[in-house]
Amino acid sequence: MSRAGRFETRFDLVLLVGCAFLGFFVRALPAHVRDPLASTIRRTVLAPLVSLQRSAELTRGALDTYDSRTVALDSLALQAMEARSLAAENDALRGLLALGPRLRWGWIPAEALSGASATSEFTLTLTVGSNAGVRPRSAVVAPEGLVGMVQTVDPSMSIAIIWPHPDFRVSVMDEEGNAFGIAQAHLGRGPERYLLEMRGVAYRSEIAPGTLILSSGLGGVYPRGIPVGTVLHELETPEGWTRTYLLLPSVRPQDVRSVVVIDPQRASEGVQQVWARQSSRDSVTRRIVAANDSIARRQAALAEAARRQAETDSAAAATPQTVAPQPAQGAGESPSPAPPPGRAAGQPVRTPEARPAAAPPSDTGPRPDTARRDTARPDTSRRDTVPPGTTPPDTTRRDTLRPDTTRLVPRPPVPPEKPVVPQEPA
Amino acid sequence: MSGGRALRILLAFMMLVVLHFTLRPFLGWRTEPDFLTVALLLAAVRVRPGTAAVIGFLLGLGRDALLLEGYGSSAIAFAFVGFGAAWLKAAFFADNLALNGFFFFLGKWAYDVMFLIVERRLEGMDLAIQLGVWSPLSAAVTALAGVLVLIVMRPLLQAAPT
Repeated sequence: MSRAGRFETRFDLVLLVGCAFLGFFVRALPAHVRDPLASTIRRTVLAPLVSLQRSAELTRGALDTYDSRTVALDSLALQAMEARSLAAENDALRGLLALGPRLRWGWIPAEALSGASATSEFTLTLTVGSNAGVRPRSAVVAPEGLVGMVQTVDPSMSIAIIWPHPDFRVSVMDEEGNAFGIAQAHLGRGPERYLLEMRGVAYRSEIAPGTLILSSGLGGVYPRGIPVGTVLHELETPEGWTRTYLLLPSVRPQDVRSVVVIDPQRASEGVQQVWARQSSRDSVTRRIVAANDSIARRQAALAEAARRQAETDSAAAATPQTVAPQPAQGAGESPSPAPPPGRAAGQPVRTPEARPAAAPPSDTGPRPDTARRDTARPDTSRRDTVPPGTTPPDTTRRDTLRPDTTRLVPRPPVPPEKPVVPQEPA
Repeated sequence: MSGGRALRILLAFMMLVVLHFTLRPFLGWRTEPDFLTVALLLAAVRVRPGTAAVIGFLLGLGRDALLLEGYGSSAIAFAFVGFGAAWLKAAFFADNLALNGFFFFLGKWAYDVMFLIVERRLEGMDLAIQLGVWSPLSAAVTALAGVLVLIVMRPLLQAAPT
């Protein structure tokens, strides 16, 4: 072996011994020195490799657990779907549980099975029958309101029509009992098929949108006070002497799962307090909203009255010769304009200040002053209870809210009619 | 050794190191192939024994950094395996896959023996089972993987014609 070869061999041995010595030295290092060294190597040289290893292990773990995770996800999705339906059913049953104690007696809980075919779309099969005390023409209700009426009763089951049925009719009224009508299926097309319409409302009875409509109890089938729907808007109909309103039903047929059949005897005693709490809360809310609207309208009416007064004054100043001579009036009073043709000379004339809200402009929408009149009605009773002479003579509220104050003016005594005495022929 | 050949060997070495950290976790076997040993042996037969010892020492230090205990054990074991492989390379110069496979088997088994002895974590029967059963199995898998690597990387590892 040459000298260079021997040197290289020795050098290799030295390197091996050095590496072994270093290895044992590192092996013998205390932990507090060894760990930072290992950590430094992991965070610098080995960092990309460790990242690769972590990704590979995550991928392998994902592949290993793919099947089990898929099964778990499917199970969770199924359970979530069931939980949703269970929650809806739970809510319905809680509503029934709350409804039962308020009815106290004469009610029969039942499961409602939807019609089995398209022809029975508007009927419900109830899981109770005559054995449970169900009788024909019994009202079927849900916690939300009226559902329908039992039509056919078997010993263990019964069939009821629900409100979209073409034969369904119920006598209804608004919450205050001012407007009455008959509610029936709207028989429209598309989504409007599942709306109700309230027909036969007297023309003088205007109902504001959002008003809750209740069964009136007339007819003897449905007790008074069951929510039927909420007014959406008035329908244009050929009849000019009655009004028809479109109602949003309180009960959606697709949500009917559990219902209560009210015994006719129980219905005859009334169920007004069963849904009264909810309806009274709605009524209070509506009154508050209407009061705010009334204030706004009152301010608008005052502005309109001032504008009309200004127009009247300017017209009177421009054409003084057309104004009929008026008798002398008190100091400070403006002369009243001439009565329009057709008005009796002795009939009292209402100036715009006196009734600003009674004659709204025709382009302000259909009859906006009805709600105002309803909400302002308490003022009437207040005025009646105030002793005469204690009220300021020209309060704005009284003038603007009661266009029919002339009714309170005492009429002049009518002289008694002379009895007609048949005259005997001479 | 020319620069191009050294570059190719370095590339093959790095690919095996990356394989060790990416492919091995996918396999998840009880006896896993040790691509680091294959990389060390492939490099060691192409360098001097002292250089192979240094390469093995550095490779072992990196491997030990991922261990909780026995820091330095892999460095010592790889240093000796690299030196031995480089010293015995004359016997395995023949382009024979079976001989190279046996070379990988011996290298991996020798590494395990030295590592387990230096680490001193296992004793008695456990050490005997590990050295007599699992280490040979792991060495066999490593030899198989090394042969496959040689087949795949033959164009890369062959000497350039002069």
